Parts: sequence; structure tokens; C-alpha cells
Amino acid sequence: MITNPLNEPQVKVDRLQLVALGILMILGTLFVYSATMANASETLKPWYSQTWFHQIIWYLLGLSAGAALCLVEYHALARWSFVVYWATIFCLVAVLIPHVGSMRFGARRWIDLGFFQFQPSEFAKLAFILAMANFLSRPTDELRQPANFWKGIGLMLLPFLLILKEPDLGSALVLLPTGLVMMFVAGTPGAYLLKLVGGVGLLAALFLVDVLFVPPGRWQISMQPYQRDRLLVFFGRDYTHFASPNATPAELQRLRQRQLDDEYNVRQALISVGSGGLAGKGWRQGTQNALGYLPRAVAHNDFIFSVIAEEEGFVGSVMVITLYAVVLFTGLRIAGQARDRLGRLVAAGVVTLLFCHVFINIGMNIRLMPVTGVPLPLLSYGGSSVLGSLIAMGLMQNIYIHRKGY
Amino acid sequence: MLIFDELKKNDPQLRFLAMVLAGGLLLLLAGLWWVQVVMASKYESHLETQSYRTVRIPAARGKILDRNGRVLAQNRPRYSLSLYLDDLRLPFYLAYSNALKSARAEQRRQIADREKRLDRSLTKAELRQFALAPDQLKQLHDQSRFQVADRMVKAVGQWLGQPLSLNETQFNRHYETRLALPYPLVSDLNEAQIARFEEQYPGGLGVELDLQPARSYPYGTTAAHLLGYVLRDDSSKEGEDAYFNYYLPDYRGQVGVEAGFDAELRGRAGAAAVLVNNLGYRQTENVWSPPEPGHDVVLTIDLDIQQAAENALAAHQGPNARAAVIVMDVHTGDVLALVSSPEINPDYSANDPARLADPKLRPQINRATYENYMPGSIFKPIVALAALENGLNPDEIYQVQPDPAEPWHGCIYVGARKIKDTVPPGSYNLKRAIVQSSNAYFIFNGLRTGIEKIVRLGEKFHLGQRMNLPTRQESPGIFPTEKRIRSDWRDGDSANIFFGQGEVAVTPMQVAVVYSAIANGGKVLWPRLVERIEPQDPTTGELPTIFPSGVVRDTLGLRPRSYKILYEAMLAETEDPEGTGHAAPVPGLRVCGKTGTAQVKDEHGQLTRWNYWFASFAPYENPRYVVVVMVESENRGSGGIVCAPIAHDIYEAIVKSERADVPALAEQRRGVTAN
Repeated sequence: MITNPLNEPQVKVDRLQLVALGILMILGTLFVYSATMANASETLKPWYSQTWFHQIIWYLLGLSAGAALCLVEYHALARWSFVVYWATIFCLVAVLIPHVGSMRFGARRWIDLGFFQFQPSEFAKLAFILAMANFLSRPTDELRQPANFWKGIGLMLLPFLLILKEPDLGSALVLLPTGLVMMFVAGTPGAYLLKLVGGVGLLAALFLVDVLFVPPGRWQISMQPYQRDRLLVFFGRDYTHFASPNATPAELQRLRQRQLDDEYNVRQALISVGSGGLAGKGWRQGTQNALGYLPRAVAHNDFIFSVIAEEEGFVGSVMVITLYAVVLFTGLRIAGQARDRLGRLVAAGVVTLLFCHVFINIGMNIRLMPVTGVPLPLLSYGGSSVLGSLIAMGLMQNIYIHRKGY
Repeated sequence: MLIFDELKKNDPQLRFLAMVLAGGLLLLLAGLWWVQVVMASKYESHLETQSYRTVRIPAARGKILDRNGRVLAQNRPRYSLSLYLDDLRLPFYLAYSNALKSARAEQRRQIADREKRLDRSLTKAELRQFALAPDQLKQLHDQSRFQVADRMVKAVGQWLGQPLSLNETQFNRHYETRLALPYPLVSDLNEAQIARFEEQYPGGLGVELDLQPARSYPYGTTAAHLLGYVLRDDSSKEGEDAYFNYYLPDYRGQVGVEAGFDAELRGRAGAAAVLVNNLGYRQTENVWSPPEPGHDVVLTIDLDIQQAAENALAAHQGPNARAAVIVMDVHTGDVLALVSSPEINPDYSANDPARLADPKLRPQINRATYENYMPGSIFKPIVALAALENGLNPDEIYQVQPDPAEPWHGCIYVGARKIKDTVPPGSYNLKRAIVQSSNAYFIFNGLRTGIEKIVRLGEKFHLGQRMNLPTRQESPGIFPTEKRIRSDWRDGDSANIFFGQGEVAVTPMQVAVVYSAIANGGKVLWPRLVERIEPQDPTTGELPTIFPSGVVRDTLGLRPRSYKILYEAMLAETEDPEGTGHAAPVPGLRVCGKTGTAQVKDEHGQLTRWNYWFASFAPYENPRYVVVVMVESENRGSGGIVCAPIAHDIYEAIVKSERADVPALAEQRRGVTAN
């Protein structure tokens, strides 16, 4: 078929990606509804105070923010990236200060703005991507200099350590692969990267050995008890292993009970996902969430995937993964088509960040990953997460709009 | 496709990234496939075990009816009030949050106090002492919950007009172990209470009226030993699910027909599943398998005769008489009445435990089937039959010699041993020997006939053997075997047996079978207590199980002449002026009977009591009924004085009931002959 390219209207946005995002947001609304409306006290609220409606508002805000970002070319944004980076670093520091950062579930991750619990780490991730991309977009030759390599590492470690301090291990950890991938895509010499990966791997291994096998004492790395417990749960280590040798049976029993309690979320998530079977139980028919076995506090955010998987089964899981695959691979396509290294790096960073979230979150629902507070982009309830994800998508579309040959 | 496009691109870094992403997503898919498809059933069963509580629902127990369909045991509805804890969740929560609020306020007040005293703000470590410990919180929970429930219970008490209070430990235990089930408040409400409750209860407060079946016996203690009783027993029988989280009250028969036909009466329990939430509160309930109701058991008992027999016993011997009565249909072996006294209440918990444990009364024992009694003279007809068959001329005169010690009484010498007779010395033929009950006559003629012949006849009557009664209380009695009499056996032992003492003991039921066989001309029948088992709901189309009547266990094979001679003698026993049983007959019914008195000695050979008997059948012309009356007593008397009047009353009732339903009986008889 012969077409006249001049008469064809210019495709400005990546429609496929937008369609996938749109479906994800619809699913997000539906399942946040399903996850929260099982709670009787939620149904008593007026509709505009209900969680699902808030989620829609966050979607709209996020879409507006993303669309607004597309108006400014990404080079202009990149020029401000270090300002944004240091601003978020400032927020990350502020969060750690008592009375500024608000405490929830034993972690200081939020700044209470009254109407909104602002979670700086979600935005720090984006700021980091922009700053890192800006930094790495210099000529490849310069990247060969060790100084620049270490600067890049420093750029990555600063937010990493601050977020780790909150503590928010999951959010901190996603920065590492994102930074690494960006360095890799930027063309940092493989030798550096291999050393880095090797070093990080070694450290991680030592860390795990310490957590899993070293009895309490001065050789143990200090970390939040719940973080250690989560790792122990994930690797299936018995708590009793760490009991003092002269522990009474009652103490051992208490430890076992605590382990059961700690495993509770993971166990319930697995039961939700597994009992969904092939076809699921139908929207709002899942009992795990409705009966409160899946804890109400996490069902609509970190464990939203369990709700989807229970109610829509393997079919629903495949659908969700397919939608993310579409977003991720259109993202890679955008990276490939980007006009310059900056665009390519931003797109690759966003894709990696998104992938890490998806992998860690879904992975923890099926015990492939330890439990960390990493939300599932666009499906989990949460203002910061939704805003962050949609802004990231806006960046991506921005790069697409200003791609090669346009 | 998009993914492959990216994988093919000549952009090594992005291609590598694409491969990593594709690999990661595939890994997730594989994991999800494993969890959701391969292992799905495992997680489904996990889900079931954590969110379903199974409840065993007992089936409606079958009724027990008399032969005319009158209900002897049934289920009556029992209303009880229960507290549905799941409906009280909100009040529980509100009470708890109030309690928590005041606890926190108290905590703050204490901190302020301390700060004031120290004149500085407290450090973190100091503040920590004031924090509420988990067990304090749990205590708050328990207390507030209990207060809410207790208020509720008090209100219910007011509506019922009966003060109620809640037992805290019991309530908390229920909360922890049986949360999915309602908490029982008041059981067995009477009608006035139900009405008051229905009128005053505003509804929606978590209190509900529940209905549960309870066993009831409309005629009280009537036929109690035959019916038996049930006790609470929730365990599953074979073929039912063995494990449940909860059990609703069910009952199991312990003795009597309730026990013997327990499987049939009980039916099959069903199962319900209660869906519970993570705290264990009930959400919904659905029945997985409905219970199958038990079957009705129709007895051969005739309620009128049964009651007449019980009343007659009580009227003549009082409620604490240790006695038994059997009324049997001589052709079918149907037991028309089975009485054991003292009575027991089939509603077992209503019995006085002290009375149940009384070693002399022993009300739990079914004396009609479960106790061995020496027969005394009622054994003599068996000796007479054996002797007649073996050539005894009934008119032959036997001279009873006087006892040298008491010349007005007779006696007989067996070897060197003198056996006293109660009759005066003189000449006795068979008839006179039966009527006056001469021991000497029967010892003389028994020895002449030979103990083997009598033992062989006794074996045909299946003395000393069980008759497989379904009531679980049955004694085989005692009777020497042919082997027994061949070794270490003396004429004195035989002589004892010939007047029903010594090594022979029977149950009243065995006597009834023996006398039925004599009355029906030689058929030793299996006694029948249960006529049929039928479904409670006749519309199910399930056929009843009918137990055949008149099943012959053995035939005596004696000449009719022998029976005729014996009948004459036994008739004379009740009609002859000399007869001992003349209290028994009623106008219009000629009764053949035999009285008996057996002496019961303790281990020191001391006479402790007597067993008085009257065994009889009627009408003489065409025998249809056997009535056996046995009374244990410490008072001197005789079978004729103690037992015959009781038999008289029973025969009177039989005549009356026959007159009342002649057509029905006639029809029944036709049915029997057709069988």
C-alpha cells in the first residue's frame, strides 16, 4: 500500500505505551476499590473520601504532571536536574529529622504536608535518574576516567544511603541496578562495571552470610530487627537458630511464634495468589482480602498484586505482566529511538527503575523476593508512587516526542 | 512483536537490557504459573483450613413407637438463647477503644505526675515504663469485651424476667476456642420465656433464639428399661467425617433399644462450614452435607398392656418393688409388655443418683432380662412334660410320706438326705401335685424319668442360653449341660433342679419363652421386641425393615396329649379351690398358671429372700398370651399371694384392650397367619 508520508499526521506520543498505562490505571482503580471496599468502615465513608476515588485523583494529578513535563523539552529539564537532585537530597535528610519526617510502621519515610503524606524517596529516584543521565551523557572518553566513574558511584550512593537510613531497603536497593544499568548503557567500560558488580555482589553475600548465620553478638551488622527478620523469613532460616544456647523452651516457643507472625504476610499473600488458580474467583470475590487474612493495611498498596491474582487468577497475572511488558519494551524502543545519549539514558533508567519495582513487588507476592515496601507502579495505592510513576512516564513520552527524525 | 524487535536491534547495550527484562518477566511468569496453576490446590486447601470451620450437625434422632404407633420416645424442640458474637463486633470495638482511651489518659496523668514531682521532663527510657504492655492490652480487650457481653446478658435476663449473669472465664474460653459458634446463654426456655423474649427483644443485638432437638419420653418412665436412655455423645460413627472443628450436641443410646438400634435411630450427621475472618468471627455459614434423619423404631410393645402391667406392679408391690413382668404373644413371640421395677427415668439426668446407686434397688438393671432367678416351682411343668413323654401315668398316685419332724408336712428322702415338702402327706396324682406344688412328687417322678431327659428338654427350651436381645442387657441364665450331669453329679443335685432350685436360674424373659412354647404346642420362639424400622418421613419411599415374627428357634416335638394333661393341671392351679393361683383369672378368661417360690440363700447358706413367681398363659381354650410375674421379696409369702393378683390385673387389661380393638386384632392375626 502506498501512503503519502506528508499527509500522514505526525505521531507525537507513543500510543501503545499510553494505552497500556491507561489499562493499568483502570485496573488500579478497580482493584484498589476491591481491596478497600471489603472493609466495612471504608464503605461508610462518602464516595469522595474513599480510597479508590483518591487513587483516581492521584492518577489525574500524575497525568497532568506528566503531560506538563512533556511541554518542556527534556534537555531543559536536564539542565535543572542537579537542582532537583539536591532538593530531593535535602528532603531525604529532612525526613530523617524527628518532627519533620513522620513515623509509620517504624520507619521515617514521609513528610506530612497535611493533605498529603509526601514520600521523598519516590521522587528521589526520578531526580537521581535525571541527574545520573545528565552526568553520564558526557562523551564516552570521559567515562573511562576513574574519577568520573567514582563520581557516578557517589551520585548513586548518596540517595541510596539516605533512603537506607529511613529505613526503606527496597527503595534504596532499586537505585543500585538503575544506576548500574545507566552506567552500562552510557558505555562505562565493562571492566569497571564488572568490578563494581563483583564488589557489590561480594558485599551482598557477606551481608547475607552475616544476617543468616552469625549468632547475635558484636559481629552482627546493625540493622532494623524487622529487616533482619524479613530476610530470615525469606531464606527460611529458623529464628530459634539465633536463640542463646541456654534458652528455655518457652523462649524458643516465643521465637517460633514470632517467626510465624512474621511469615504471616508472605504466607497470606501466597495463599491469595495460589488460591486464585487459573481463572480466579472474580472481581470482589476474593476471600483472603475480604476476610482480612491479607492484612488490610497492605492489601491495597504493597500487596495489591495478591488481590488481583486471587480475584483474576493466572489469567489476570499474565495480563498484568503483559501490560508491564508493553510499557517496558516501548520504553526500550523509546530509548533506542532517542535523539541523544541523554534521552537514551533517561529512558533506560526509567525502564530499569520500573522493572525493578515490578519484579520486586510481584516477586515478594510469590516469595521470589523478600518483603520490602516497594509499590507496584500504578496499581498500588499511594500518591507519591502514582505521581512518581506518571512523571517518569511523562519523561519517557517527552523523549519520544523529541526523538530522532522529528 | 515489540519484544523481539528490541531483542534483534543492533544496539548491544539496549539488547542486553531487553534480554534481562524479558528474562525477569519470564521468571515472574514461571513463578506465577508454579504458584497459581501447579500448586493451586495446595493453597486452596490452606485457604480452606484457615478460613472454614466445620461443624458437625447431628441428624434428627428417630422416634420409638409402640406397636400401635404411639410415641414412646421422640425429639422435642428445645429453645435456647445464644449470643452471636460476630454481631457484637462493633460494640466490642467501641468499648475497647473507649477503654484504651481512658487507659491512655491515665497513663498521661501518671507521666505528668511524675514529671511534676521530678520537675523535669522524663527521658525516653523512663517513659517506656508507662507504655502499655501487650498483655495489658489483651486484658483491656478481654475486659471491655466481657463488659459488653455481660451488659447484653443482663438485658436478656431482664427481658426473660430471670436474672442472668455471664461467667467470665467460660466466656473468654468460648471466645478463644469456639468464636465461630454462638455463645449459649440460656437453654431450654419455657413457653412463657419465649413469649417474653419475643415481645421485648428489640432485635439486632446479637441475641438469637436457637432451636435444638432434645430427647423426650412422653410417657415418662413407661417401658424405660426397654427404651434405655441416651447420653450426650458428639463423636462420629463409622462412615461419617471423623474430624470437625466444632460439634453440636448429639446423643448416643447407652442401653435398651436406644442403644441396640442406635445406628438406625441416630441417622447420619451432616456437616456445615462456617466461613470465618482472620479474627475467627463468623461470616457466613453453609451446609456442605445435610444430615440424614434417623429411622423410627416400632416396638412390639402394646402401650396399654405395658402401662397396665406397670400399674399393677406398683399397685400391689409399691414403687420400690424389685420385680419384673413379661407379657408375650405365644404365637409370634412378640413382647407385649416388658416391665422391670424399680423404674428408671429414661431422661437419665432426671434420676436421683443416690437411688441409681442403691445396691439393693439397682434400678438400672433390667430385671426382666438381665438377672438370673431361681425358678422354683414354675420349673415343674418342664419336669412334668418330660415325665409324661417318658411314660408317666398322670393318674398314678404317689404317696407323700410325712416328715418325721413336722408330721403335717410331707417329705422325701433322696439317698440319706431328707427334702422337705410344703404339701401335707397323702396321695398325689399329677394334677394335685401341680396344684399343690408337691416337691416330693416331682422329685420322685423326675428321678424316675432321669435327669438326662429333663436336661435335654431344657436345652430345647434353650435354657442357659442368650436370645440375642437388642437391649444390651441380657443374661443367659444357668442350666446344667448334658456334660455337666455326667460328672460329679448326684441325685440330690437332680432333686434340687426338679423343684426349681439348685443349679438352675432363668430370666423372666426365658420363662416367658418356655411358657409360650408350652402354650403354643411346642414352638420355642425367638422373642421379638422390635417389629420394624421405618423412615421418619414416609414420603421418601424407603421401605421399612420388618423383623419377622414367630421365628421358631426350636420345636419340642412332644405329644399333644402331654400338653393337654399339663393344661388341665395348670388350669386347676387357678380354678381349683385348692389351687394357689386362684387370684389370677378374670371373668371370661380362663388362665393356666403355675406359682413358684424360690428361696435365695447367701453364701453362708442363710435364707435372705424369696423369688416369687407366677407364670401363666391364657385363654385356656386357645392360648394367646403369656404373663410372667416375678417379685423379689424379703417378706414371707407365695407366688399365688404376691404375683397372681398382678397377673390378674394384667389379664384384665388384656381383655379390655382386646374388646376395644377386636377388629384390629383380628386383622392383625390374619396378617400373621398370612406370613
